[in-house]
Formats: sequence, structure tokens, C-alpha cells
Amino acid sequence: MVERAAMNRILLWGGLALLAAGLSSLQVAGHLVPSAPSASVSPLDAIILSYSVLPRIAVALVGGAALGLSGLLLQRVLRNPLAEPSTLGVSAGAQLAMTMAAVFAPALMENAREGVALAGGLAVVALILAMTWRRGLEPVAVVLAGMMVALTATMASAALILANGEYLFSIFIWGGGSLSQQSWGPTLTIALRLAIGVAAAALLSRPLSILGLDDASARSLGVALNATRFGVIGVAVWLAASVTAEVGVIGFVGLAAPALAHLSGARTQGQKLIAAPLIGAVLLWLTDGLVQLLAGVDGERVPTGAATALLGGPLLLWLLPRLRMFEWPSLNSKPAPSRRSRRPGRLIGLFALLGAVAVALALTVGTGPDGWTVSTGPMLDRLLGWRGPRVAVAAAAGAMLAAAGMVLQRVTANPLASPEILGVGTGAGVGLTAALFLVAAPGIGIQIAASAIGAVAVLAAMLALSLRAGFGPERLLLAGIAMSALCSAVLTAVIATGTPQAFALLRWLSGSTNDSSPADAWFCAGAAAVLLAALPPMTRWLEILPLGDVTARSIGLPVRLCRIVLVLFAGVLTAAAALFVGPLSFVGLIAPHLARLTGLGRARGQGIAAVLIGAGLMVVSDWLARTVAFPYQLPLGLFASLLAGPYLIWLLSRSDARAG
Amino acid sequence: MSRRYALGLAAGLTLLPRAGSAAGTRVAVIDWAMLETVLAMGVVPVAATELLQFRKVAVEPAVPDRVIDLGLRGTPNYEALNLAEPDLILSSNYYEGQKPSLQRVAETLSLSIYTPGVPPYPAAVEAALTLGRRLGREAAARALVARTEEEIARLAGSLRGVAHRPVLAINIGDARHVRAFGTDSMFGDVLRRLGIANAWASDSSYSAAAPLGIEALARLPDAAVIVVPPVPPDALRALGDSALWQALPMVRDKRVTVIEPVNHFGGLPAALRFARLAATALLGQEGASHG
Repeated sequence: MVERAAMNRILLWGGLALLAAGLSSLQVAGHLVPSAPSASVSPLDAIILSYSVLPRIAVALVGGAALGLSGLLLQRVLRNPLAEPSTLGVSAGAQLAMTMAAVFAPALMENAREGVALAGGLAVVALILAMTWRRGLEPVAVVLAGMMVALTATMASAALILANGEYLFSIFIWGGGSLSQQSWGPTLTIALRLAIGVAAAALLSRPLSILGLDDASARSLGVALNATRFGVIGVAVWLAASVTAEVGVIGFVGLAAPALAHLSGARTQGQKLIAAPLIGAVLLWLTDGLVQLLAGVDGERVPTGAATALLGGPLLLWLLPRLRMFEWPSLNSKPAPSRRSRRPGRLIGLFALLGAVAVALALTVGTGPDGWTVSTGPMLDRLLGWRGPRVAVAAAAGAMLAAAGMVLQRVTANPLASPEILGVGTGAGVGLTAALFLVAAPGIGIQIAASAIGAVAVLAAMLALSLRAGFGPERLLLAGIAMSALCSAVLTAVIATGTPQAFALLRWLSGSTNDSSPADAWFCAGAAAVLLAALPPMTRWLEILPLGDVTARSIGLPVRLCRIVLVLFAGVLTAAAALFVGPLSFVGLIAPHLARLTGLGRARGQGIAAVLIGAGLMVVSDWLARTVAFPYQLPLGLFASLLAGPYLIWLLSRSDARAG
Repeated sequence: MSRRYALGLAAGLTLLPRAGSAAGTRVAVIDWAMLETVLAMGVVPVAATELLQFRKVAVEPAVPDRVIDLGLRGTPNYEALNLAEPDLILSSNYYEGQKPSLQRVAETLSLSIYTPGVPPYPAAVEAALTLGRRLGREAAARALVARTEEEIARLAGSLRGVAHRPVLAINIGDARHVRAFGTDSMFGDVLRRLGIANAWASDSSYSAAAPLGIEALARLPDAAVIVVPPVPPDALRALGDSALWQALPMVRDKRVTVIEPVNHFGGLPAALRFARLAATALLGQEGASHG
């Protein structure tokens, strides 16, 4: 039985590889067969074949293999099933470094593209490891820090590009990940790195398999733990950074290839070292073949990097319920219990006060042509018409996202669950896209309904998937990341059409409250008031559900019904907020954490504090986005993560004496 | 409001403008094509967007220093716009999303030059005439239209019998990708008016996320190429090393010219600027191949 299953899986991958080969041969044939019956193959066709078509096939193969290997090594050494070049921020770090180099030191970019990318990738990984070191590189903390740093770096690159007004063309191509080639250079570069990576992995095979154990066992077996670890991480980052520098951001392959290798029956270290790169290569080759097949004469419809997510996302989602086990130590190890405040009322009062200060600051202080000004009297009246709606929308959206995050974290008993990470925000975006394309001029009601349907559909799909085998945290996060990647890929593909709807979506994605009208403000604040009023009656459920289904049932809680109601609730909250501030804010992840980490562990206190923190954070972020580069405005999410990130990281990295 | 009222009152006492004249209109401009056009008609707006880039990318007409910068075109700074106290805001179909907010500041006039599939030159002429009527500069607007048309006709004459190849106008994204300006771009339309065939027969392929591979140029072996900046510095270097790029017939025969920057989505001034730059480039290519 087992043998046959393994055989079938090998046949499946073999079949996919054959399909990819078939697609490639179509491309090759296009340049080998003369266009006119009389003509022979033109010299130019021969050059295109040998400098464009063939290198593209080769770069897909070596690039996919390098990413697969990189993901495998990172997952192994960090004992973290979610580690991969993009969740660890390698791509984002490389992108930021390259954008900075392009803006401030173009000469550097001309001469040392790979070096710049590698420096950026390494810096981000080093930062993440340093931040989570004292927590023993706990997977939850690492992924949290990684997403945080990656998002901040991405936003910072976007801000740099926007503020310098360089048109997004080259960064778009690069961020989309295009495999189009015109020489063998990138292939050779990546192939060399891949060969070194494979050799290193083979040499380190024994220490690697020992690193899969916990630290104590590894040390007792005589492995120079940290030296090995850093060596392997360095190799993995180098592989990913060279792919990123040569062809752009190709997401998902590094995550999917090792998971798929595992699911396809690779169990031993050696099997995985062979299977993961091979599967990565097939994935990228096949995707790129499909992209070229669908391309018209006027260019490709979807960038390959987005297409890998379109193809790989559903594949991973389909495979997840068939997943029997992960051999990695589970994410179930809860983050260290935080201290409980003895005076929750005082803390909540403090947060309310800080929120009020933030609102007052945002309303009165601004920059103008003459520098910083505090506005009062008639001038304030005049500016309030512009600042008031922004502040109201930011506060209401922040409050709703924070509430949604708190609900999701409690329902799933998963500290990483949040609207941003589970793909609920991007799901709302897909709903919004459908509304924009199906209805000629959708009103706010239709837009919010469509976003809500998108958000709830994503949440429901993920919970249904993970419910099959209970709420396994890894499975839920994997499903979330896959769903998020899938929805983002849909959005990228739509934006690539360049229609007016696409521009509307692009503006929505970048997250700006700049165009908030008084009507928007009333609507958003009204939605927040109505929805948040529904939160207090649910706090009992939120208190009990994290204790587990058995406990909840024994108290007489209708567990299934509670979950459905809460999930719907979180979906609507997210959709309402994301409609106004875009999907990428991170407030939904951070605010509940901050509330809990300051000592508000009970649902009611945590809920109120999270809402206040979310509102305050968003207001301050919006104020910074408005004033820092006046008159140029920066993305809201950049400041949301810059503000909240360091505090969260500091709290995470504090080694708590009571943690063990 | 009161300050503006007082200023208006003072101006009214001294100048006594004719009733109905709009010559003193305070104009703020969101769209660059409108900005070019009003500047070329001698109207200096009180505020306009992204002036740092405008001076680099569109270059002419020159923007006086006293014009207030409003920030990015997609997210104009409404506080700054409000403080500039415009009577009229000029926008375009690209900024429909911002229209409700713009209308809260002042009356907003939105004119469309670019529509997918439609050559934009006639719309640019129409926009200039509409702006002239609205701003009380009808004579200046008609003069701009006439000047542009005459100059393009003159350039077409100088190219007649000299430049006979189809021309491809592209923008280089990175070392592997370009985008092509088709018949519905201003550059495509101007080429046609110069009596030159546009080698890119279909609509513009300007979508940033799904551009053309460099190898697409190989399908147009006879074309001469005009590269419109910006050109990323690392792309230039990589192209120099690229076997495929070097093997392209237009590169081999030195029929590729990088021109000075010009606004990709401009109005009549951009059309004229492109016509001049393109004519110079094509005459230069022909001169080099014969001399």
C-alpha cells in the first residue's frame, strides 16, 4: 500500500514535469519552425532561442530548485514549518536594499546588484533572529517578527518609490517576478549558488538531521549548534537572495516545495534534500510554461511570481486536509503567559487617555509650507473639515481591526491569527474587485457587502479546512498564508490589466485615508459603533472558547454556533475596516497582543484595551503618514507597523522568568 | 475665506475687470497634461502636483517657483490645496476617485485626453480650447493649437523622404522588459502626424505588471526605435552586455536613440516636445547611416 502510494506520487510529479516539458517544447518549436514555408530558421530566431527561450527554461528550473532548497534548509534549521524566504523577510529585505540603492547609490546597483540584495536579505534575517533569540527562536515568535519586518520593509520601499516619484514600472516587474531572460548569466549565477548550496547541505546532512531535534539533544550529540545553524541560514539566505536579485520576488515556492515533498512521502533527510529542490523546480517550470501559454502578442497577462501563488495556493489548500502530521515540534507551545494586571481599569483608562491625546494631536498639529504648525481658531475650523474625517475613519477602522484580531485569536486559540495573516483583508479585496467589475458604479453599500462576502468566504473556507482535523495552529496558518497569497495573486493579476478599476484597486491596496469624506467618516464610525456594541455580549464565549471544546461543551456552550457567529462577526468587522484603510495594516495582529502583554488577559479587558490601542495606533499612523513628508503622503501601513512593531518585538524578546 | 474676499475686493477696486471675465481665476492643477497646457497658455496656477518630478520628467513648460507643490497626483494634499484657495481645480479621468474630495475645495473641471483605443491628439486640442474658454484665454489657446499644429507639420516636412522606416516608441523598465506606445498614446498619434508609421500597430502596452519581453523587438526587425526616459541605470549597463539586445537588427544597425525626457501622458506641449525630439532623433539616425 505504502509503496504504491509513494509510486503514485512520483508518477504525479513525473506527469507534472512532463506537462511542463510539453509547454516548453511549444515555445522552442515556435522559434525552430520557420514562419514562412520558403524561409529557413532566421538567425534572429536562433538567437532568441538560445538567449531567451532556453535560458528562461533553465532559470525556472534552477530558480525553483534554489528556492525549494532554501525553504527546506530554513524550515529544518529553525524547526519551523512556515519558514521560507518570504516569511523570513529575505525578499522584502532584498527589495528594500535594492530600492535604496537605486535611489541613493545607483552606481552600487549597477555594479553589485546581488551583493546589495544579499546584504538586505541577511540584514533582515539577522534582525529577526536577534529579536527572537532570547525566546529560543520559537517558531511563533520568528514568523511573527518575520511578517512584521517584511511588511515594514515592503512599505518602506513603497514609500521610497512614491516619494521619489519613480514610476513603479521596474519595481512592479521585479515585485511580480518575471522569468523573462536574455542571456545565460542569471542561470549560471543561480546554478553556481545552487551547486554550492546542495554541496553544503549534503556535507551538513548529519548536523542538519540532529538540528531537527531540540537544542539539548543536539548539543549532547556534539553539534556545534550555533555555528551550524548560522552556516545553514547563511547558505539558505544566499540562495534566496540571488534568485531575488536575478529574477525578482517569486513567492510560495520556498514554502510549498518542502511541504509538498513531505506530503509526497519524503521522510528522511536525504529524500527531502532531493525531493524539495526537484519539486520546487517542477513547480516554477510548470507555472512559467502556463504563463507563457496564456501570454498574448502584447505581453504576458500575469507575472510569473503572482502565478506561482495562483497555482501553488490551491495546491497547498487541497493538500492540507490530507496532511497526516508534521514532524516539526508543534506551534502549540503557547507564548509565555504574561503577567496579569491587578488594576485593569487603570490600564484601560490610560489607553483611553493616550487615544484622546492622539486624536487631539492629529486634529491640531500638522505641517504646511512653513513647517510645523499648531492650528487654532478659524484656521482649525477650516482644516477640521479635512482632518476630522481622516481621524474618524482611521480611529474607527483601527478599532474594528483590533476587535476582529482579538476575536480571531481567541476563536482559533492561535496567537498569530489576525485579519492580515489569515488573508481576510485580501479576501475582502477580492470581493471588492468583483463588485468593481460586475457593477458599473457600485455604491458604498454594495462595496461593503461585497467586501464582507469576500472576507467571510475566506474565513469560512479556512476554518472549514482546518476544522477537519481540529484547529491545528500550523494548519490554520498555512491555510491562511496560502489563501492570502492566492487572494493577493488575484489582485495582482487584476491590477495588471491596467483598467480604471485596477487603478481604484491599487489605491485601495496602498491604504490611504486621504480621500475620506465626511460621509465616509459617518459611515465608518457608525459601522464601528454598531459592530463593537455587539462585542460585550460575546465576551463570555471569547473567555471560554480558548479553553478547548471539551471544557466549553461541559459548560453548556453551543460551540459550533458560537464559532460561526464569531467568525461572521470578525469577517464583517474586517471588511468594514479594510474597505477604508486597505488590507495591510497589522493593527489587527498587534493591538490584541499589546493589550494582553500589558496584563489584560481577560476577554472583556483585552477587548476594550485592544479597541482603544487599535484606534490610537491608526490615528497616530495616519497623522505621521500625512505630515512626515509633507506635502507628499506616505502609506498608512508603514507607520502602523513601524509604531507597533518595535514594542511588540521588545515584549516578545524579553525572556520572561516565568515562561518556562 | 475672509482674506480671499478682502484680496478680491482690493483687486476689484484697482483693476475693475470686465464682468464675466475669468482672467483672474486662481487655478490649482492635479493632472500634468492640464498643467502643461495652462502653463503653455501663459496661466500660472497657484498650486500643482508633484512638481519635483514634473520638472524632471516633463521638463517644459517651466514651472515658476511660486507654484505650491500639492504632493502626489494620486493622493494630493487637500490641506495644502485648501490653503492655496483655488477658484478652479483642473483634473482628468485618471483622478475620478478624488473628484468628490476635490469638489469640496472648489469647482472641479475634469477633462479626458486619454481613452483606451482612441488617439489622444484631438482630445488634447479640445482640452486646450476648453481650458482657454474657461480661463478667458481663448486667443492663447487657439495660438497654442495653431503653433503646435504648424510646428508638427513643419517637422513632418523635414522628415519626408528622409525617414521611411516604421518607428517604435518604447520605455525601458529593466534590462529584460519594455513597454510600447501604441496608436492610442500621444507618441503614437504624433508619429502618425509626422507621417511615420508606428511599428507598434496595436494599442499601448503600458500595463506595468505585464510588460513586453525585450525579445518582442525581434518581431519588428525593420523598425527604428525611440526610447523615452526614464531609463534605469542598471538596465542600460545590462543591455550593453546582452547578446540578445546586441543581436537585435535595430541595435546592430544603430537605429535606437534615447531622447530627452517627455511626459508620457501629456497634452499639446508634450506632443510638440515629443515631435521635436523624435524628429531630431530620426534625422540623426538617418544622417549616421548615410554619413
